[in-house]
Amino acid sequence: MSAGTLPTTKPGADSNSVTEAITRSRWAPFRSFFITVINLTLFFVIWQLVALSEVINPLFFPKATDMFSALYHGFVDGIIGPELLHSVQNFTIGMLISAAIGIPLGLLMGGVRIVDLILSPYVWAMTALPRVALIPLLILVLGFGNSMQLTIIVLSAVFPIMVNCMEGVKTVDPSLVRAGRVFGTSEAQLYVKVILPFTLPFVVSGINQGIARGLVGMLIGELLGGGGKGLGFLLDRAGEQFDAPMMYATLVLLAVLSVGLVQGMRWIERRAAPWRDFSRA
Amino acid sequence: MTHVTSQDGANDCSNNASAEIEVAIFMSQAVPSVTQRPRPSADDAPTTQPPLIDIRGVSAGYENKRQKTRLIALRDVNLDVQRGEFLAIVGPSGCGKTTLINMIAGFMKPLEGTIRVHGELVHGPGADRAMVFQDYAVLPWRTVYKNVMFALENRHPRPSKEVSAERIAHALELVGLTGFEKSYPYELSGGMRQRVGIARALVSEPEILLMDEPFGAVDAMTREAMQAEFEKIIAHTGQTVFFITHSIDEALTLADRVVIVSNRPGRVKEILDVDLPRPRFDEGVRRSERFGQLREHIWNQLQAEALGAKAGGDR
Repeated sequence: MSAGTLPTTKPGADSNSVTEAITRSRWAPFRSFFITVINLTLFFVIWQLVALSEVINPLFFPKATDMFSALYHGFVDGIIGPELLHSVQNFTIGMLISAAIGIPLGLLMGGVRIVDLILSPYVWAMTALPRVALIPLLILVLGFGNSMQLTIIVLSAVFPIMVNCMEGVKTVDPSLVRAGRVFGTSEAQLYVKVILPFTLPFVVSGINQGIARGLVGMLIGELLGGGGKGLGFLLDRAGEQFDAPMMYATLVLLAVLSVGLVQGMRWIERRAAPWRDFSRA
Repeated sequence: MTHVTSQDGANDCSNNASAEIEVAIFMSQAVPSVTQRPRPSADDAPTTQPPLIDIRGVSAGYENKRQKTRLIALRDVNLDVQRGEFLAIVGPSGCGKTTLINMIAGFMKPLEGTIRVHGELVHGPGADRAMVFQDYAVLPWRTVYKNVMFALENRHPRPSKEVSAERIAHALELVGLTGFEKSYPYELSGGMRQRVGIARALVSEPEILLMDEPFGAVDAMTREAMQAEFEKIIAHTGQTVFFITHSIDEALTLADRVVIVSNRPGRVKEILDVDLPRPRFDEGVRRSERFGQLREHIWNQLQAEALGAKAGGDR
Protein backbone atom coordinates (compact mmCIF):
# COMPACT_ATOMS: atom_id res chain seq x y z
CA MET A 1 0.00 0.00 0.00
CA SER A 2 2.59 2.55 1.04
CA ALA A 3 5.32 3.32 -1.41
CA GLY A 4 7.90 2.50 1.25
CA THR A 5 11.60 2.33 0.66
CA LEU A 6 13.00 0.10 -2.02
CA PRO A 7 12.89 -3.54 -0.95
CA THR A 8 16.34 -4.91 -0.31
CA THR A 9 17.06 -8.60 -0.45
CA LYS A 10 19.05 -10.43 2.16
CA PRO A 11 22.61 -10.93 1.03
CA GLY A 12 23.78 -14.49 0.57
CA ALA A 13 20.30 -15.92 0.02
CA ASP A 14 20.05 -19.27 -1.66
CA SER A 15 20.12 -18.43 -5.36
CA ASN A 16 17.92 -21.43 -6.17
CA SER A 17 15.06 -20.70 -3.80
CA VAL A 18 11.92 -19.24 -5.34
CA THR A 19 10.99 -16.95 -2.44
CA GLU A 20 13.27 -14.53 -0.66
CA ALA A 21 12.80 -12.53 2.52
CA ILE A 22 12.42 -8.78 2.07
CA THR A 23 13.57 -6.27 4.68
CA ARG A 24 12.13 -2.77 4.75
CA SER A 25 13.16 0.30 6.67
CA ARG A 26 11.43 0.43 10.07
CA TRP A 27 9.65 3.70 9.57
CA ALA A 28 8.29 2.84 6.11
CA PRO A 29 4.83 1.80 7.41
CA PHE A 30 4.40 5.20 9.13
CA ARG A 31 5.60 7.19 6.18
CA SER A 32 2.19 7.91 4.65
CA PHE A 33 0.83 8.77 8.10
CA PHE A 34 3.57 11.37 8.66
CA ILE A 35 3.01 12.86 5.23
CA THR A 36 -0.71 13.18 5.94
CA VAL A 37 -0.08 14.90 9.29
CA ILE A 38 2.36 17.39 7.74
CA ASN A 39 -0.01 17.96 4.83
CA LEU A 40 -3.00 18.74 7.06
CA THR A 41 -0.95 20.97 9.38
CA LEU A 42 0.19 23.00 6.38
CA PHE A 43 -3.41 23.26 5.18
CA PHE A 44 -4.62 24.78 8.47
CA VAL A 45 -1.57 27.07 8.71
CA ILE A 46 -2.26 28.46 5.22
CA TRP A 47 -5.95 28.81 6.11
CA GLN A 48 -4.99 30.80 9.20
CA LEU A 49 -2.61 33.06 7.24
CA VAL A 50 -5.17 33.78 4.52
CA ALA A 51 -7.83 34.55 7.12
CA LEU A 52 -5.45 36.83 9.06
CA SER A 53 -4.67 38.79 5.90
CA GLU A 54 -8.43 39.47 5.63
CA VAL A 55 -8.37 39.21 1.83
CA ILE A 56 -11.77 37.53 2.18
CA ASN A 57 -14.41 39.10 4.41
CA PRO A 58 -13.96 37.49 7.90
CA LEU A 59 -17.73 37.21 8.08
CA PHE A 60 -17.52 34.43 5.47
CA PHE A 61 -14.03 33.15 6.16
CA PRO A 62 -13.07 32.84 9.82
CA LYS A 63 -9.62 32.03 11.15
CA ALA A 64 -8.81 28.34 11.50
CA THR A 65 -8.25 28.89 15.23
CA ASP A 66 -11.77 30.36 15.56
CA MET A 67 -13.16 27.33 13.79
CA PHE A 68 -11.32 24.98 16.15
CA SER A 69 -12.47 27.00 19.10
CA ALA A 70 -16.08 26.79 17.89
CA LEU A 71 -15.66 23.07 17.47
CA TYR A 72 -14.22 22.71 20.97
CA HIS A 73 -16.83 24.87 22.64
CA GLY A 74 -19.57 23.24 20.63
CA PHE A 75 -18.63 19.89 22.11
CA VAL A 76 -17.97 21.18 25.63
CA ASP A 77 -21.18 23.20 25.81
CA GLY A 78 -23.21 20.31 24.47
CA ILE A 79 -24.30 22.04 21.27
CA ILE A 80 -22.73 19.65 18.74
CA GLY A 81 -22.89 16.39 20.71
CA PRO A 82 -26.64 15.71 20.63
CA GLU A 83 -26.92 16.77 16.99
CA LEU A 84 -24.00 14.57 15.98
CA LEU A 85 -25.51 11.67 17.90
CA HIS A 86 -28.86 12.24 16.23
CA SER A 87 -27.31 12.29 12.76
CA VAL A 88 -25.10 9.26 13.31
CA GLN A 89 -27.96 7.33 14.83
CA ASN A 90 -30.32 8.17 12.00
CA PHE A 91 -27.70 7.42 9.40
CA THR A 92 -26.79 4.05 10.95
CA ILE A 93 -30.41 2.93 11.21
CA GLY A 94 -31.09 4.16 7.67
CA MET A 95 -28.10 2.27 6.27
CA LEU A 96 -29.04 -0.91 8.13
CA ILE A 97 -32.56 -0.74 6.72
CA SER A 98 -31.17 -0.02 3.23
CA ALA A 99 -28.80 -2.99 3.38
CA ALA A 100 -31.51 -5.27 4.75
CA ILE A 101 -33.82 -4.37 1.87
CA GLY A 102 -31.30 -3.66 -0.88
CA ILE A 103 -28.99 -6.69 -0.69
CA PRO A 104 -31.60 -9.49 -0.80
CA LEU A 105 -33.76 -7.71 -3.37
CA GLY A 106 -30.73 -6.89 -5.53
CA LEU A 107 -29.49 -10.48 -5.43
CA LEU A 108 -32.99 -11.69 -6.26
CA MET A 109 -33.20 -9.28 -9.20
CA GLY A 110 -29.90 -10.59 -10.52
CA GLY A 111 -30.84 -14.24 -10.17
CA VAL A 112 -34.58 -14.39 -10.96
CA ARG A 113 -35.59 -12.88 -14.26
CA ILE A 114 -39.24 -12.26 -13.39
CA VAL A 115 -38.31 -10.28 -10.26
CA ASP A 116 -35.92 -8.21 -12.36
CA LEU A 117 -38.61 -7.52 -14.96
CA ILE A 118 -41.12 -6.43 -12.33
CA LEU A 119 -38.84 -4.28 -10.18
CA SER A 120 -36.35 -2.75 -12.59
CA PRO A 121 -38.49 0.14 -13.96
CA TYR A 122 -39.02 1.42 -10.41
CA VAL A 123 -35.46 0.81 -9.35
CA TRP A 124 -34.02 2.69 -12.31
CA ALA A 125 -36.50 5.53 -11.96
CA MET A 126 -35.63 5.91 -8.29
CA THR A 127 -31.89 5.63 -8.95
CA ALA A 128 -32.03 8.40 -11.53
CA LEU A 129 -34.46 10.72 -9.73
CA PRO A 130 -32.73 13.49 -7.73
CA ARG A 131 -33.58 12.82 -4.12
CA VAL A 132 -34.41 16.44 -3.32
CA ALA A 133 -37.48 16.18 -5.54
CA LEU A 134 -39.02 13.81 -3.03
CA ILE A 135 -38.74 16.16 -0.07
CA PRO A 136 -42.06 18.01 -0.51
CA LEU A 137 -43.94 14.76 -0.95
CA LEU A 138 -42.26 13.17 2.07
CA ILE A 139 -42.99 16.20 4.23
CA LEU A 140 -46.60 16.05 3.09
CA VAL A 141 -46.92 12.39 3.95
CA LEU A 142 -44.63 12.02 6.96
CA GLY A 143 -44.46 15.53 8.39
CA PHE A 144 -41.32 17.12 9.80
CA GLY A 145 -40.44 14.29 12.13
CA ASN A 146 -37.69 11.79 12.34
CA SER A 147 -39.43 9.25 10.13
CA MET A 148 -39.17 11.65 7.21
CA GLN A 149 -35.42 12.08 7.73
CA LEU A 150 -34.97 8.33 8.02
CA THR A 151 -37.03 7.69 4.90
CA ILE A 152 -34.96 10.03 2.77
CA ILE A 153 -31.75 8.27 3.91
CA VAL A 154 -33.19 4.87 3.01
CA LEU A 155 -34.53 6.09 -0.33
CA SER A 156 -31.10 7.54 -1.12
CA ALA A 157 -29.03 4.52 -0.14
CA VAL A 158 -31.15 1.52 -1.03
CA PHE A 159 -31.12 1.81 -4.82
CA PRO A 160 -27.37 1.98 -5.44
CA ILE A 161 -27.06 -1.08 -3.18
CA MET A 162 -29.74 -2.93 -5.14
CA VAL A 163 -28.32 -2.05 -8.53
CA ASN A 164 -24.81 -3.15 -7.57
CA CYS A 165 -25.94 -6.45 -6.10
CA MET A 166 -27.97 -7.13 -9.22
CA GLU A 167 -25.04 -6.32 -11.51
CA GLY A 168 -22.80 -8.57 -9.42
CA VAL A 169 -25.04 -11.60 -9.87
CA LYS A 170 -25.55 -10.87 -13.56
CA THR A 171 -21.86 -10.57 -14.35
CA VAL A 172 -20.81 -13.84 -12.70
CA ASP A 173 -18.24 -15.50 -14.94
CA PRO A 174 -20.18 -18.19 -16.89
CA SER A 175 -17.10 -20.41 -16.80
CA LEU A 176 -17.20 -20.42 -13.00
CA VAL A 177 -20.87 -21.37 -13.09
CA ARG A 178 -20.08 -24.23 -15.49
CA ALA A 179 -17.22 -25.31 -13.23
CA GLY A 180 -19.63 -25.29 -10.31
CA ARG A 181 -22.10 -27.49 -12.17
CA VAL A 182 -19.51 -29.90 -13.52
CA PHE A 183 -18.09 -30.43 -10.02
CA GLY A 184 -21.45 -31.33 -8.61
CA THR A 185 -22.91 -28.30 -6.87
CA SER A 186 -26.64 -28.24 -6.25
CA GLU A 187 -28.50 -25.05 -7.12
CA ALA A 188 -28.18 -23.81 -3.51
CA GLN A 189 -24.48 -24.72 -3.32
CA LEU A 190 -23.89 -22.90 -6.61
CA TYR A 191 -25.26 -19.74 -5.01
CA VAL A 192 -23.34 -20.13 -1.77
CA LYS A 193 -20.01 -21.25 -3.21
CA VAL A 194 -19.79 -19.50 -6.57
CA ILE A 195 -22.30 -16.72 -7.16
CA LEU A 196 -22.26 -15.05 -3.73
CA PRO A 197 -18.47 -14.96 -3.30
CA PHE A 198 -18.21 -13.52 -6.80
CA THR A 199 -20.85 -10.91 -5.93
CA LEU A 200 -19.36 -9.93 -2.56
CA PRO A 201 -17.13 -7.13 -3.91
CA PHE A 202 -20.14 -5.73 -5.79
CA VAL A 203 -22.18 -5.77 -2.57
CA VAL A 204 -19.43 -3.90 -0.75
CA SER A 205 -19.08 -1.28 -3.48
CA GLY A 206 -22.87 -0.97 -3.53
CA ILE A 207 -22.82 -0.23 0.19
CA ASN A 208 -19.99 2.21 -0.49
CA GLN A 209 -22.09 4.11 -3.01
CA GLY A 210 -25.07 3.80 -0.69
CA ILE A 211 -23.10 5.48 2.09
CA ALA A 212 -22.16 8.39 -0.14
CA ARG A 213 -25.75 8.83 -1.32
CA GLY A 214 -27.11 8.23 2.18
CA LEU A 215 -24.98 11.04 3.60
CA VAL A 216 -26.46 13.40 1.02
CA GLY A 217 -29.92 12.14 1.89
CA MET A 218 -29.26 12.67 5.57
CA LEU A 219 -28.13 16.26 5.02
CA ILE A 220 -30.94 17.32 2.72
CA GLY A 221 -33.43 15.76 5.11
CA GLU A 222 -32.00 17.77 7.99
CA LEU A 223 -31.47 20.97 5.99
CA LEU A 224 -34.79 21.10 4.18
CA GLY A 225 -36.96 18.89 6.35
CA GLY A 226 -37.11 21.42 9.18
CA GLY A 227 -36.94 18.72 11.84
CA GLY A 228 -34.77 20.95 14.07
CA LYS A 229 -32.25 18.19 14.71
CA GLY A 230 -28.99 16.85 13.33
CA LEU A 231 -25.83 18.25 11.80
CA GLY A 232 -27.77 19.67 8.84
CA PHE A 233 -29.89 21.68 11.25
CA LEU A 234 -26.71 22.92 12.97
CA LEU A 235 -25.39 24.06 9.60
CA ASP A 236 -28.68 25.76 8.75
CA ARG A 237 -28.88 27.60 12.07
CA ALA A 238 -25.22 28.71 11.95
CA GLY A 239 -25.91 30.18 8.52
CA GLU A 240 -28.95 32.08 9.71
CA GLN A 241 -27.01 33.48 12.68
CA PHE A 242 -23.97 34.44 10.56
CA ASP A 243 -21.93 32.16 12.84
CA ALA A 244 -19.17 31.38 10.32
CA PRO A 245 -16.81 29.53 12.75
CA MET A 246 -19.65 27.18 13.73
CA MET A 247 -20.56 26.59 10.10
CA TYR A 248 -16.99 25.70 9.20
CA ALA A 249 -16.70 23.54 12.30
CA THR A 250 -19.77 21.56 11.24
CA LEU A 251 -18.42 21.20 7.71
CA VAL A 252 -15.08 19.91 9.00
CA LEU A 253 -16.94 17.48 11.22
CA LEU A 254 -18.98 16.26 8.24
CA ALA A 255 -15.82 15.91 6.13
CA VAL A 256 -14.12 13.85 8.86
CA LEU A 257 -17.23 11.69 9.20
CA SER A 258 -17.48 11.05 5.44
CA VAL A 259 -13.79 10.38 4.95
CA GLY A 260 -13.82 8.03 7.93
CA LEU A 261 -16.76 6.10 6.51
CA VAL A 262 -15.38 5.91 2.98
CA GLN A 263 -11.90 4.87 4.15
CA GLY A 264 -13.42 2.33 6.51
CA MET A 265 -15.39 0.84 3.64
CA ARG A 266 -12.31 0.73 1.45
CA TRP A 267 -10.54 -1.17 4.20
CA ILE A 268 -13.46 -3.61 4.37
CA GLU A 269 -13.49 -3.87 0.58
CA ARG A 270 -9.86 -4.98 0.54
CA ARG A 271 -10.53 -7.50 3.31
CA ALA A 272 -13.64 -8.79 1.60
CA ALA A 273 -11.85 -9.66 -1.63
CA PRO A 274 -8.08 -9.95 -1.27
CA TRP A 275 -8.13 -11.99 -4.46
CA ARG A 276 -9.38 -9.07 -6.49
CA ASP A 277 -5.94 -8.06 -7.64
CA PHE A 278 -6.59 -6.21 -10.87
CA SER A 279 -2.95 -5.32 -11.38
CA ARG A 280 -2.20 -8.90 -12.37
CA ALA A 281 -5.41 -10.01 -14.01
CA MET B 1 8.23 -25.19 -3.01
CA THR B 2 9.52 -26.63 -6.21
CA HIS B 3 13.26 -26.63 -6.50
CA VAL B 4 15.22 -26.55 -9.67
CA THR B 5 16.70 -30.00 -9.87
CA SER B 6 18.38 -29.60 -13.21
CA GLN B 7 20.48 -26.57 -13.87
CA ASP B 8 20.89 -26.92 -17.60
CA GLY B 9 17.99 -25.52 -19.53
CA ALA B 10 16.67 -23.73 -16.48
CA ASN B 11 19.31 -21.04 -16.65
CA ASP B 12 18.39 -19.95 -20.13
CA CYS B 13 15.20 -18.34 -18.93
CA SER B 14 16.19 -17.19 -15.49
CA ASN B 15 14.49 -13.84 -16.06
CA ASN B 16 11.18 -15.61 -16.36
CA ALA B 17 10.44 -17.17 -13.01
CA SER B 18 7.30 -19.02 -14.00
CA ALA B 19 8.82 -20.53 -17.12
CA GLU B 20 11.72 -21.64 -15.00
CA ILE B 21 9.41 -23.51 -12.72
CA GLU B 22 7.53 -25.10 -15.59
CA VAL B 23 10.80 -26.38 -17.06
CA ALA B 24 11.97 -27.56 -13.67
CA ILE B 25 8.86 -29.66 -13.23
CA PHE B 26 9.23 -31.03 -16.70
CA MET B 27 12.80 -32.04 -15.98
CA SER B 28 12.12 -33.61 -12.61
CA GLN B 29 10.82 -37.14 -12.33
CA ALA B 30 7.83 -36.40 -10.12
CA VAL B 31 5.59 -38.39 -12.42
CA PRO B 32 6.23 -42.09 -13.07
CA SER B 33 7.91 -42.71 -16.37
CA VAL B 34 5.74 -43.51 -19.32
CA THR B 35 5.12 -47.05 -20.28
CA GLN B 36 3.30 -48.04 -23.39
CA ARG B 37 -0.23 -47.46 -22.27
CA PRO B 38 -2.66 -50.23 -23.06
CA ARG B 39 -4.46 -48.95 -26.10
CA PRO B 40 -7.91 -50.23 -26.85
CA SER B 41 -7.81 -51.98 -30.15
CA ALA B 42 -10.05 -54.25 -32.10
CA ASP B 43 -8.27 -57.29 -30.62
CA ASP B 44 -8.79 -56.74 -26.91
CA ALA B 45 -12.09 -54.89 -27.12
CA PRO B 46 -14.75 -57.23 -28.37
CA THR B 47 -17.32 -55.46 -30.50
CA THR B 48 -20.07 -56.44 -28.07
CA GLN B 49 -18.66 -54.13 -25.38
CA PRO B 50 -20.51 -50.82 -25.55
CA PRO B 51 -18.42 -47.68 -25.92
CA LEU B 52 -17.98 -45.48 -22.85
CA ILE B 53 -19.22 -42.42 -24.69
CA ASP B 54 -21.72 -43.08 -27.44
CA ILE B 55 -22.72 -40.17 -29.70
CA ARG B 56 -25.46 -41.04 -32.18
CA GLY B 57 -26.82 -38.75 -34.90
CA VAL B 58 -26.31 -35.64 -32.81
CA SER B 59 -27.26 -32.22 -34.11
CA ALA B 60 -27.03 -29.08 -32.07
CA GLY B 61 -27.75 -25.41 -32.56
CA TYR B 62 -28.29 -22.08 -30.93
CA GLU B 63 -31.41 -19.99 -31.31
CA ASN B 64 -31.17 -16.42 -32.41
CA LYS B 65 -34.35 -14.94 -30.98
CA ARG B 66 -34.00 -11.62 -32.74
CA GLN B 67 -33.73 -13.06 -36.23
CA LYS B 68 -35.94 -16.04 -35.40
CA THR B 69 -33.36 -18.38 -36.84
CA ARG B 70 -31.34 -21.23 -35.51
CA LEU B 71 -27.63 -21.49 -36.03
CA ILE B 72 -26.73 -25.13 -36.60
CA ALA B 73 -23.40 -25.85 -34.94
CA LEU B 74 -23.29 -29.62 -35.39
CA ARG B 75 -25.10 -31.90 -37.81
CA ASP B 76 -25.48 -35.67 -37.57
CA VAL B 77 -22.36 -36.45 -35.55
CA ASN B 78 -21.61 -40.09 -34.79
CA LEU B 79 -18.72 -40.92 -32.50
CA ASP B 80 -17.68 -43.71 -30.14
CA VAL B 81 -15.15 -43.29 -27.41
CA GLN B 82 -13.80 -46.48 -25.88
CA ARG B 83 -12.81 -46.85 -22.24
CA GLY B 84 -9.24 -45.66 -21.68
CA GLU B 85 -9.03 -43.97 -25.04
CA PHE B 86 -7.51 -40.55 -25.65
CA LEU B 87 -9.57 -38.84 -28.33
CA ALA B 88 -8.57 -35.46 -29.76
CA ILE B 89 -10.96 -33.28 -31.75
CA VAL B 90 -9.50 -30.81 -34.24
CA GLY B 91 -11.40 -28.50 -36.54
CA PRO B 92 -11.71 -24.93 -37.74
CA SER B 93 -12.89 -22.41 -35.17
CA GLY B 94 -16.64 -22.20 -34.84
CA CYS B 95 -17.15 -25.78 -36.04
CA GLY B 96 -18.99 -26.81 -32.88
CA LYS B 97 -16.20 -28.58 -30.99
CA THR B 98 -17.04 -26.77 -27.77
CA THR B 99 -20.75 -27.43 -28.34
CA LEU B 100 -19.99 -31.13 -28.49
CA ILE B 101 -17.99 -31.14 -25.25
CA ASN B 102 -20.67 -29.04 -23.52
CA MET B 103 -23.26 -31.65 -24.46
CA ILE B 104 -21.14 -34.51 -23.12
CA ALA B 105 -20.60 -32.52 -19.92
CA GLY B 106 -24.36 -32.09 -19.66
CA PHE B 107 -24.56 -28.30 -19.97
CA MET B 108 -26.80 -28.43 -23.04
CA LYS B 109 -28.96 -30.90 -24.88
CA PRO B 110 -28.76 -31.95 -28.53
CA LEU B 111 -31.55 -30.96 -30.91
CA GLU B 112 -31.53 -34.43 -32.39
CA GLY B 113 -29.80 -37.68 -31.61
CA THR B 114 -28.52 -39.10 -28.34
CA ILE B 115 -25.45 -38.91 -26.17
CA ARG B 116 -24.90 -41.81 -23.84
CA VAL B 117 -22.24 -42.28 -21.20
CA HIS B 118 -22.06 -45.82 -19.75
CA GLY B 119 -25.03 -46.56 -21.99
CA GLU B 120 -27.17 -44.01 -20.14
CA LEU B 121 -28.53 -40.82 -21.66
CA VAL B 122 -26.77 -37.69 -20.43
CA HIS B 123 -29.18 -35.50 -18.47
CA GLY B 124 -26.72 -33.22 -16.72
CA PRO B 125 -23.27 -33.11 -15.21
CA GLY B 126 -22.18 -36.20 -13.30
CA ALA B 127 -19.43 -37.46 -11.04
CA ASP B 128 -18.10 -39.69 -13.84
CA ARG B 129 -17.07 -36.64 -15.90
CA ALA B 130 -14.74 -33.78 -14.97
CA MET B 131 -13.81 -30.84 -17.12
CA VAL B 132 -10.77 -28.67 -17.69
CA PHE B 133 -11.63 -25.24 -19.08
CA GLN B 134 -9.72 -23.12 -21.54
CA ASP B 135 -9.97 -20.08 -19.24
CA TYR B 136 -9.04 -22.23 -16.19
CA ALA B 137 -12.26 -21.34 -14.30
CA VAL B 138 -10.55 -21.65 -10.92
CA LEU B 139 -12.32 -19.88 -8.07
CA PRO B 140 -10.25 -16.74 -7.40
CA TRP B 141 -11.30 -16.48 -3.76
CA ARG B 142 -10.04 -19.96 -2.92
CA THR B 143 -6.50 -21.13 -2.36
CA VAL B 144 -4.99 -23.78 -4.62
CA TYR B 145 -5.79 -26.46 -2.02
CA LYS B 146 -9.40 -25.37 -1.60
CA ASN B 147 -9.87 -25.08 -5.35
CA VAL B 148 -8.89 -28.72 -5.75
CA MET B 149 -11.07 -29.62 -2.76
CA PHE B 150 -14.02 -28.08 -4.62
CA ALA B 151 -14.24 -31.21 -6.80
CA LEU B 152 -14.62 -33.43 -3.72
CA GLU B 153 -16.78 -31.43 -1.32
CA ASN B 154 -20.01 -31.32 -3.35
CA ARG B 155 -20.21 -35.08 -3.90
CA HIS B 156 -22.24 -37.60 -1.96
CA PRO B 157 -20.87 -39.32 -0.05
CA ARG B 158 -18.30 -36.69 0.71
CA PRO B 159 -14.90 -38.24 1.42
CA SER B 160 -13.54 -37.84 4.94
CA LYS B 161 -11.13 -35.01 5.68
CA GLU B 162 -8.15 -37.39 5.81
CA VAL B 163 -9.03 -39.10 2.53
CA SER B 164 -9.61 -35.71 0.89
CA ALA B 165 -6.27 -34.37 2.10
CA GLU B 166 -4.47 -37.42 0.79
CA ARG B 167 -6.12 -37.26 -2.62
CA ILE B 168 -5.60 -33.52 -2.96
CA ALA B 169 -1.92 -33.91 -2.07
CA HIS B 170 -1.60 -36.65 -4.69
CA ALA B 171 -3.36 -34.59 -7.39
CA LEU B 172 -1.17 -31.57 -6.63
CA GLU B 173 1.92 -33.75 -6.80
CA LEU B 174 0.85 -35.08 -10.20
CA VAL B 175 0.61 -31.59 -11.65
CA GLY B 176 3.72 -30.34 -9.82
CA LEU B 177 2.03 -27.86 -7.49
CA THR B 178 3.23 -29.31 -4.19
CA GLY B 179 4.20 -26.34 -2.01
CA PHE B 180 1.67 -23.96 -3.55
CA GLU B 181 -1.32 -25.19 -1.50
CA LYS B 182 -1.87 -21.86 0.23
CA SER B 183 -1.36 -19.65 -2.82
CA TYR B 184 -4.25 -17.80 -4.40
CA PRO B 185 -4.78 -18.07 -8.17
CA TYR B 186 -3.89 -14.40 -8.68
CA GLU B 187 -0.45 -15.17 -7.28
CA LEU B 188 0.17 -17.80 -9.96
CA SER B 189 1.13 -17.70 -13.63
CA GLY B 190 -1.36 -18.80 -16.29
CA GLY B 191 0.29 -22.20 -16.68
CA MET B 192 0.18 -22.80 -12.94
CA ARG B 193 -3.48 -21.76 -12.77
CA GLN B 194 -4.27 -24.37 -15.39
CA ARG B 195 -2.34 -26.93 -13.32
CA VAL B 196 -4.85 -26.14 -10.57
CA GLY B 197 -7.64 -26.72 -13.08
CA ILE B 198 -6.13 -30.09 -14.06
CA ALA B 199 -5.56 -31.14 -10.45
CA ARG B 200 -9.19 -30.28 -9.69
CA ALA B 201 -10.32 -32.50 -12.55
CA LEU B 202 -8.00 -35.37 -11.53
CA VAL B 203 -8.66 -35.37 -7.80
CA SER B 204 -12.03 -37.12 -7.87
CA GLU B 205 -10.61 -39.72 -10.26
CA PRO B 206 -13.42 -39.44 -12.79
CA GLU B 207 -13.56 -41.96 -15.60
CA ILE B 208 -13.76 -39.27 -18.23
CA LEU B 209 -11.74 -36.07 -18.56
CA LEU B 210 -13.32 -33.45 -20.79
CA MET B 211 -10.75 -30.91 -21.89
CA ASP B 212 -11.71 -27.82 -23.86
CA GLU B 213 -8.47 -26.43 -25.32
CA PRO B 214 -6.81 -26.68 -21.90
CA PHE B 215 -3.43 -25.41 -23.07
CA GLY B 216 -4.79 -22.85 -25.53
CA ALA B 217 -4.25 -19.85 -23.26
CA VAL B 218 -0.78 -20.64 -21.90
CA ASP B 219 2.43 -19.55 -23.55
CA ALA B 220 4.15 -21.80 -26.09
CA MET B 221 7.00 -22.97 -23.89
CA THR B 222 4.76 -23.79 -20.93
CA ARG B 223 2.37 -25.53 -23.27
CA GLU B 224 5.04 -27.95 -24.49
CA ALA B 225 6.09 -28.77 -20.94
CA MET B 226 2.49 -29.29 -19.85
CA GLN B 227 1.72 -31.56 -22.81
CA ALA B 228 4.66 -33.76 -21.87
CA GLU B 229 3.56 -33.94 -18.26
CA PHE B 230 -0.01 -34.57 -19.21
CA GLU B 231 0.99 -37.50 -21.41
CA LYS B 232 2.74 -39.00 -18.38
CA ILE B 233 -0.19 -38.34 -16.06
CA ILE B 234 -2.70 -39.98 -18.36
CA ALA B 235 -0.40 -42.96 -18.92
CA HIS B 236 -0.38 -43.26 -15.13
CA THR B 237 -4.12 -42.86 -14.51
CA GLY B 238 -5.41 -44.53 -17.67
CA GLN B 239 -8.41 -42.21 -17.87
CA THR B 240 -10.58 -41.69 -20.92
CA VAL B 241 -9.90 -38.26 -22.37
CA PHE B 242 -12.03 -36.19 -24.71
CA PHE B 243 -9.69 -33.43 -25.79
CA ILE B 244 -10.41 -30.39 -27.94
CA THR B 245 -7.53 -28.54 -29.51
CA HIS B 246 -6.53 -26.16 -32.25
CA SER B 247 -3.04 -27.56 -32.45
CA ILE B 248 -2.31 -30.48 -34.78
CA ASP B 249 0.96 -31.19 -32.98
CA GLU B 250 -0.83 -31.29 -29.65
CA ALA B 251 -3.42 -33.72 -31.01
CA LEU B 252 -0.73 -35.99 -32.48
CA THR B 253 1.41 -35.85 -29.34
CA LEU B 254 -1.39 -36.85 -27.01
CA ALA B 255 -4.17 -38.74 -28.78
CA ASP B 256 -4.86 -42.34 -29.71
CA ARG B 257 -7.33 -41.14 -32.33
CA VAL B 258 -7.79 -37.75 -33.92
CA VAL B 259 -11.24 -36.68 -35.09
CA ILE B 260 -11.28 -34.01 -37.79
CA VAL B 261 -14.46 -31.95 -37.73
CA SER B 262 -15.66 -30.09 -40.81
CA ASN B 263 -16.68 -26.49 -41.07
CA ARG B 264 -19.96 -25.31 -39.60
CA PRO B 265 -22.27 -27.11 -39.45
CA GLY B 266 -19.72 -29.48 -37.92
CA ARG B 267 -19.66 -33.08 -39.09
CA VAL B 268 -17.09 -35.79 -38.52
CA LYS B 269 -14.91 -35.51 -41.58
CA GLU B 270 -12.37 -38.15 -40.72
CA ILE B 271 -11.19 -40.27 -37.82
CA LEU B 272 -7.49 -40.97 -37.81
CA ASP B 273 -5.64 -43.66 -35.83
CA VAL B 274 -2.41 -42.25 -34.47
CA ASP B 275 -0.05 -45.20 -34.78
CA LEU B 276 2.93 -43.60 -33.11
CA PRO B 277 4.87 -45.20 -30.24
CA ARG B 278 4.70 -43.73 -26.74
CA PRO B 279 6.06 -41.78 -25.03
CA ARG B 280 5.62 -39.34 -27.83
CA PHE B 281 7.06 -36.34 -26.11
CA ASP B 282 10.38 -37.40 -27.39
CA GLU B 283 12.21 -35.65 -30.18
CA GLY B 284 12.63 -38.97 -31.96
CA VAL B 285 8.91 -39.55 -32.31
CA ARG B 286 8.05 -35.96 -33.07
CA ARG B 287 10.69 -35.78 -35.77
CA SER B 288 9.80 -39.15 -37.26
CA GLU B 289 8.61 -39.47 -40.80
CA ARG B 290 5.26 -40.90 -39.72
CA PHE B 291 4.57 -37.93 -37.43
CA GLY B 292 5.28 -35.61 -40.36
CA GLN B 293 2.98 -37.57 -42.67
CA LEU B 294 0.11 -37.51 -40.17
CA ARG B 295 0.60 -33.84 -39.50
CA GLU B 296 0.60 -33.00 -43.18
CA HIS B 297 -2.49 -35.09 -43.79
CA ILE B 298 -4.47 -33.35 -41.01
CA TRP B 299 -3.15 -29.98 -42.09
CA ASN B 300 -4.35 -30.55 -45.64
CA GLN B 301 -7.77 -31.62 -44.43
CA LEU B 302 -8.12 -28.57 -42.21
CA GLN B 303 -6.78 -26.29 -44.94
CA ALA B 304 -9.47 -27.60 -47.30
CA GLU B 305 -12.08 -26.81 -44.65
CA ALA B 306 -10.72 -23.32 -44.11
CA LEU B 307 -10.71 -22.62 -47.85
CA GLY B 308 -14.18 -24.13 -48.16
CA ALA B 309 -15.38 -21.73 -45.51
CA LYS B 310 -13.99 -18.80 -47.47
CA ALA B 311 -15.50 -19.98 -50.76
CA GLY B 312 -18.84 -20.53 -49.06
CA GLY B 313 -18.68 -17.07 -47.61
CA ASP B 314 -19.78 -16.11 -44.13
CA ARG B 315 -23.35 -15.04 -44.08
